[in-house]
Amino acid sequence: MSTEVIKVTINNKDIQVPKGARLIEVCRDNGFDIPSFCYYSDLALQASCRMCLVRIDKMPKLQTSCTIACTDGMVVQTQTEEIEKAQRAMVEFLLANHPLDCPVCDRGGECELQEMAFDWGGLEERFTEKKNYHAEKYLSPMVANDPQRCILCKRCTRVCDEWMGEDAIEAGGRGANTVIGTYGGWLDCSQCGNCIEVCPTGTLLDGTYRHQTRPWELAQTVSTCTYCSDGCQMSLGSRGGELMRIVARDRYVNGLNGEFLCIKGRFGHPFVNHEARLRTPMIRHQKGGKLIPATWDEAIKHIATKLDDVADRQGRNAVGVIGSPRLTNEALYVLKKFATELVGTENYSVTDSVNLKPFFSNLSAPLATHRDIRHAKTILLIGGEPEELQPLTGKQIRQAVRNGGAKLIIFNSVPIRLREQATQFLHLRPGTEAAAILALASDADDALAAGKLGLEAAELETARATISGTVGDLVIMFAGDIGAAAQIVLAQLAHSLKADDRRVLFHPLPLYNNSVGAIDMGMHDGSMNVAEMLDACGKEIRALYVAGSFLPEQLQGRENSLAQLDFVVVQELFETDTTSFADVVLPAASFAEVDGTFTNNDGFVQRVRQSIPPVNQSQADWMITDALARELGLEFGFGLAASAVFNEIAETLPAYAGLRYPVIKDESQPVQVKHQLAAAKDISTEHAALRKEVEQIDETSQKVFGTPRVGHELFKIRTLTDKVAQFHLLAGGNPRPESVNISPLYQITVG
Amino acid sequence: MFIGAIGCEPLQLARVHLENSRSLEVYRRNGGYQAIKKVLASMSPEDVINEVKKSALRGRGGAGFPTGLKWSFVPKDSPKPKYVVCNADESEPGTFKDRYLMERDPHMLIEGMLIAAYALGAKVNYIYTRGEYRYLIDIMDQALAEARAAGLLGHRISGTEFSCEIYTHTGAGAYICGEETALLSSLEGMRGHPRMKPPFPAVSGLYASPTVVNNVETLTAVPDIIKLGGEAYQKLGTEKSGGTKVWSVSGHVNRPGVYELPMGYDDMEKFIMEDCGGIAAGRQLKAVIPGGSSVYIMPANSIIGKDVRMDYEGLVAGGSSVGSGGFIVMDETVDIFESTKNLTEFYKHESCGWCTPCREGTDWLVKIFKRIDSGGGRADDPQLMLDLCDNIEGKSFCPLGDAAAWPIQSAVKRFPEDFAKHLQVNDDTDLEGN
Amino acid sequence: MSRQLTKIQPLSQPVQMPEAAATFSPEVEAEIDAHLAKYPVARSAILPLMFIVQRERGYLDPAGILYLAHKLALRVTDIWEVATFYSMIQTEPVGKYHIQICKTLSCKILGEPEITRHVCNKLGIKPGETTADGRFTVSMVECLGSCGTAPMFQINFDYHENLTPEKVDHILDSLA
Ligand SMILES: Cc1cc2nc3c(=O)[nH]c(=O)nc-3n(C[C@H](O)[C@H](O)[C@H](O)COP(=O)(O)O)c2cc1C
Ligand code: SF4
Ligand code: FES
Repeated sequence: MSTEVIKVTINNKDIQVPKGARLIEVCRDNGFDIPSFCYYSDLALQASCRMCLVRIDKMPKLQTSCTIACTDGMVVQTQTEEIEKAQRAMVEFLLANHPLDCPVCDRGGECELQEMAFDWGGLEERFTEKKNYHAEKYLSPMVANDPQRCILCKRCTRVCDEWMGEDAIEAGGRGANTVIGTYGGWLDCSQCGNCIEVCPTGTLLDGTYRHQTRPWELAQTVSTCTYCSDGCQMSLGSRGGELMRIVARDRYVNGLNGEFLCIKGRFGHPFVNHEARLRTPMIRHQKGGKLIPATWDEAIKHIATKLDDVADRQGRNAVGVIGSPRLTNEALYVLKKFATELVGTENYSVTDSVNLKPFFSNLSAPLATHRDIRHAKTILLIGGEPEELQPLTGKQIRQAVRNGGAKLIIFNSVPIRLREQATQFLHLRPGTEAAAILALASDADDALAAGKLGLEAAELETARATISGTVGDLVIMFAGDIGAAAQIVLAQLAHSLKADDRRVLFHPLPLYNNSVGAIDMGMHDGSMNVAEMLDACGKEIRALYVAGSFLPEQLQGRENSLAQLDFVVVQELFETDTTSFADVVLPAASFAEVDGTFTNNDGFVQRVRQSIPPVNQSQADWMITDALARELGLEFGFGLAASAVFNEIAETLPAYAGLRYPVIKDESQPVQVKHQLAAAKDISTEHAALRKEVEQIDETSQKVFGTPRVGHELFKIRTLTDKVAQFHLLAGGNPRPESVNISPLYQITVG
Repeated sequence: MFIGAIGCEPLQLARVHLENSRSLEVYRRNGGYQAIKKVLASMSPEDVINEVKKSALRGRGGAGFPTGLKWSFVPKDSPKPKYVVCNADESEPGTFKDRYLMERDPHMLIEGMLIAAYALGAKVNYIYTRGEYRYLIDIMDQALAEARAAGLLGHRISGTEFSCEIYTHTGAGAYICGEETALLSSLEGMRGHPRMKPPFPAVSGLYASPTVVNNVETLTAVPDIIKLGGEAYQKLGTEKSGGTKVWSVSGHVNRPGVYELPMGYDDMEKFIMEDCGGIAAGRQLKAVIPGGSSVYIMPANSIIGKDVRMDYEGLVAGGSSVGSGGFIVMDETVDIFESTKNLTEFYKHESCGWCTPCREGTDWLVKIFKRIDSGGGRADDPQLMLDLCDNIEGKSFCPLGDAAAWPIQSAVKRFPEDFAKHLQVNDDTDLEGN
Repeated sequence: MSRQLTKIQPLSQPVQMPEAAATFSPEVEAEIDAHLAKYPVARSAILPLMFIVQRERGYLDPAGILYLAHKLALRVTDIWEVATFYSMIQTEPVGKYHIQICKTLSCKILGEPEITRHVCNKLGIKPGETTADGRFTVSMVECLGSCGTAPMFQINFDYHENLTPEKVDHILDSLA
């Protein structure tokens, strides 16, 4: 849109707008309600519902305001008898074949058609003919479908294509026989459920929530997703202490993700009320013995005695403390405080798969927000697979390219699906990302880098030319386990890549909902990392206090480490590999049961809000640590308020200075923490180290071909997703069941 | 079936009766490929467009848009390739002229397309033919092969700088693909949904490149315009509608067929009663749909003794329009309720389903027709139909919605008695309809 | 009501494998390639290719759909959305002789009902049906551009015009 301001007159009111502004938006911004179904911001225009008709001077017919770009002097009427008749007519047409049985429809109460019928429908029902009939069915374990209710606005097909790049759902048939569906009637896709979300009617429905509650029975709580580092905002719908569903519907929540969520965010929540949740604290009184239920008092006392004992006899550093990047900032902050101020140990860490501290300590430009990504001019993606691991970032990249014309340069050893959008795909040998970073830092080592990467030097040249030709924002994204030297060189790139007309922004792609918060809270500041700590078990380290669990990959090859310890405490939702070594297991509350904050990969610190009371006897992680500290004789003074912890975070950490819960309460205005920017510094040592690292890369590794299957990461069965029956169907290849008329779960519960 | 010109020298139909009229040889012997020769030898693209402008040629596909003007909208400086697409989808009920033009004189279409391609700078061009006309695609392919072999098509045509290819393409049964933007969607391998205008095809059409879509008969007029000169061609017709027009005549006339008439032919009554041999079996004329199913139906009393001139302005004055020139004559045995039901079923079947009013409106209207037909009519049904038509007309995404409304609107208003007799006196109908 | 399932058994069913794609003779492949060569974008050839698959396989069957998806680098759902839009593309089997009777206005008023009745009586089926031996399918279709020579039907791609019951007998008998 241009910056030129023009005048339009709407209902006799003169309005200044940027030239080319979309009329429907201008009308709405100025308080003139325009009904619409098919129009959806930032999706391809459709103009098919014909609801948004307006009268424009000098134009022969009524015009669809969703398609009109404002021009100077345009005179518009939006509220005349003629327009109202047309709009009533469209609602009447849409209702003609639509069943009028809202009371049995899952969308009843939050259906746009229902609302429109109340606002615009005629009182008299003139359609007295037989309605066209289609049977209800399932399109996948996640998506139920009632085709009769479809008004063919095609928001679903557009989000599937434009947001997800999957194009899995389409319209078939013609005319009044048009239906939304797929070949074979089964949806083979990443099951994000965004089609359900954007559906204005009860045509596409949450198959996991069918006929559970009426929407108005649900208490809606705005919170942050507990899966990946994108930090999507969502509304948790609960009833009677049970989390029933999660949506991102704009009537409840307006976060950085709009109405977008991925399969995990939307459908991955049934672990919360799962019967396998730990019920009470449990103590294993003797190694090899059973875990026996205990009271909180008993358990806390027991732990305090044991930890005291180890510290006394073996020294403070013999007690190790481990957090999880899934915990809230509050929990991690209290945990770190517990480790450093109370225990006084240097041995603490966090079970993240990568440690981005070197990157964050040398940051030379701010983090890109998801909005920045959508409007970026060039996006550089090194490693990773956002479409599976940070799906919102994946969507933003796709839209930046498709709707915004951004250039996308991908350095990856795997031909990921996002490659379809790439301007340039540089297919690396596995494990050579460091060489790519070396090449981006300067062209001096191109021959070396290209050789290791398995590329032509000219390809590096092309990528650099695209970067240096960028006018506007350049967003650098990276993922994976990148060494410290490479992280530092990368973090300093902004100094050399920025220009007067080019802003550089970073977007790291860690894996967990609070990976970034864990760095901010200082959980990576201990003297050992997780692997080193595991290796030290039974040696320097004699006791561990673990909030969360180790990743299976971290325990791999170290299966016996935990058995070497004198004492292990684990705070968890479920029994895991880690709890099987625990002497005391404490039931922790999930994200749905606590207050707190997560910091996402934009650097946004966003609220986690309690939606239901803690399940069973569980308690918030920070409260457990706090109770333990109290037992050990140190009163942190947080009382029962997570906000008190956050206040202390804000007072202690400069990046969080000035923040309070009220300041970050509006999810539509997320607040970015102020990560310290490092001045340009001499990084020749790191550069040399990186070169050396690159020189040592093995040149014989073979390139990987074959695009990874949709869902190969998203559908993985992990501790949480294991508790969602539908994920097992997906992980099993999402076969089309013989009958699509009943819940696909019959395949794993019956027979 | 009659094929020939009345009231003028045949232009479009000049060769249709010659033996082997489809062959390159016969075409050439009878003035064929002289126009393109002249164009390549002595005319600039602008000259061609000007000549077409002067001819007052209006698009013969139904919309009647001035062809020269349409051509002039194509941006000269666009770096993108340009395309000429011939619309041979001919699916408007009552229309079959393009079929005979292609069947009898395929080289005339090729020559017309070559001239258009030259004027617009198009290198690759397509003839989109409805799928049912498979035999015409074969005929066109053969003619194209002949032309190619003779150096009239392909690289450096007739030794000039001008290179141009023409390919045939098949539709697969969808009336909406005659609408130019839907045609382009279909030609790109998509569902045949119309696209938003603007951008118009002239700016962003096939593969988002500048594209001109023209009807077969529009393109076959072009060689004669070049040969005669734009002005002379225009003078064959009227000031605003130049040249001749080919009409497809069907229904209850003694001599159905393909008729070439000068634009402005006087008058419709004479045309029906004399040229077409009058109404079959000595019955009375009841109604005419003069321009394909999508135009207003004309009752006999608006034709008989009314001097209806057969051109764009004349037919509008007569209460209808030229449309595609599909001239359907109905005698007194036809029940206009039945004929309108038949056409409404057509539009329901052919609605692409994109937009609400057309998709739902045609479905609803057909249900009403069926209910009335099975004895469940109500006194206010005609009024309901008119209101539904009003709710479709002018609100649909593309003109198909309007086209579905017009036959009903005109029939209900002009033949109320035919509707009335189907409506039960007793208003006590079952709510389920049908 | 708790939504949690007591027991989640791992899935025993194997991943559904796509059916094998259709294969064609080198001549047919050459014909297909000739169509592809006409367009700058492969997808443009979708309708011509569908007709070829239909001709070769009787209708656009699942294997044919899969073939087209591979050939045009599209998803099967992309083929489906296009196939179901066009009335000439058959995604269900049709008879060897597909009799498509035009039912639109000009044919209708010039004797289509009689022709339809005659065809259906003779074959013993209703419109939309296929004879038991799979030889004939009767469909009612919209205007085929033969209004001047009404009534008419098309059998596969052949036009039969100015029909009379006698003519219909003659045509059908010659096919039988
Ligand atoms: C529903 C609909 C169907 C149409 N069908 C045809 C058709 O079959 N043949 C045709 O030439 N034009 C048809 N048209 C008109 C085309 O949209 C377009 O105006 C025409 O091809 C332009 O060519 P012309 O300027 O030479 O007439 C149709 C339009 C509509 C709205
Ligand atoms: S009016 Fe609407 S539904 Fe009808 S054919 Fe046009 S776009 Fe399709
Ligand atoms: S919102 Fe404009 S037509 Fe649907």
